[in-house]
Amino acid sequence: MDEFTITEKKTDDLVILYLNGFLDAHTSSVLEKKFEELLSKKLYKVIINFAGLSYISSAGLGVFMAYIETLRSNSGDIKLSNMSDKIYNIFDMLGFPILFNIVRDESEAVTLFNTNA
Amino acid sequence: MGAKDKILIKSSTGNLHLVRDFVEQKAAELGIDQKIISQIIISVDEACTNVIKHTHKYNDSNDIEVETVFRNNEFAVILRYTGEAFDPTKKETPDMKEYFKKFKVGGLGIPIMKKSMDKIEFKHTKPNKNSLTLIKVI
Repeated sequence: MDEFTITEKKTDDLVILYLNGFLDAHTSSVLEKKFEELLSKKLYKVIINFAGLSYISSAGLGVFMAYIETLRSNSGDIKLSNMSDKIYNIFDMLGFPILFNIVRDESEAVTLFNTNA
Repeated sequence: MGAKDKILIKSSTGNLHLVRDFVEQKAAELGIDQKIISQIIISVDEACTNVIKHTHKYNDSNDIEVETVFRNNEFAVILRYTGEAFDPTKKETPDMKEYFKKFKVGGLGIPIMKKSMDKIEFKHTKPNKNSLTLIKVI
């Protein structure tokens, strides 16, 4: 059985989500719920670390599209890091780097948030 | 002559992983490059997701048959399912600049399929039989 899990690390108002497993139309609701939870706590600065993610489909891409505008309008953002080539290819195929900051590793994403703050 | 095989799943997103695993195994048996296998897998996932969501409206009493065929340097995945006709090849591809500007959500399954595969063929036979064939030239 393919699973999808999220672990979370929070420092001040910055949240890092570590995605693990397979993000598809079946599991994307787990990520949606996590974003809803962050919004309810007024946490708008989010880094997604993809190191543990083996697979993403358009359902996963849709979750980031669904929340990016709200987070940005609250002075936050979703920054994406640690993607394997396989995952990056999916984002790149449709031009997601136009809208999203995609960086090599988590620390770069943290720096981006700090310099923009 | 070519390798041939099929599986039948209940129309539920909870079974998408079974389809991905099946297609991956069949493509890997043929020694297809991993990068190409990834493109085939996501296309089949997107196609099945659309059938589950839009054609079957999450009613898992419906089935989807998934068959792989390798012939003349073409790896084909054929989905067979009942329901209303919807031809994804007729769907217009969104302008992604506009898509991002307006923060749109959804509708990316078909663009992914079109970008990842070489040919897509849809056939509807009355009253309600559909077959969607996704082809990758190897």
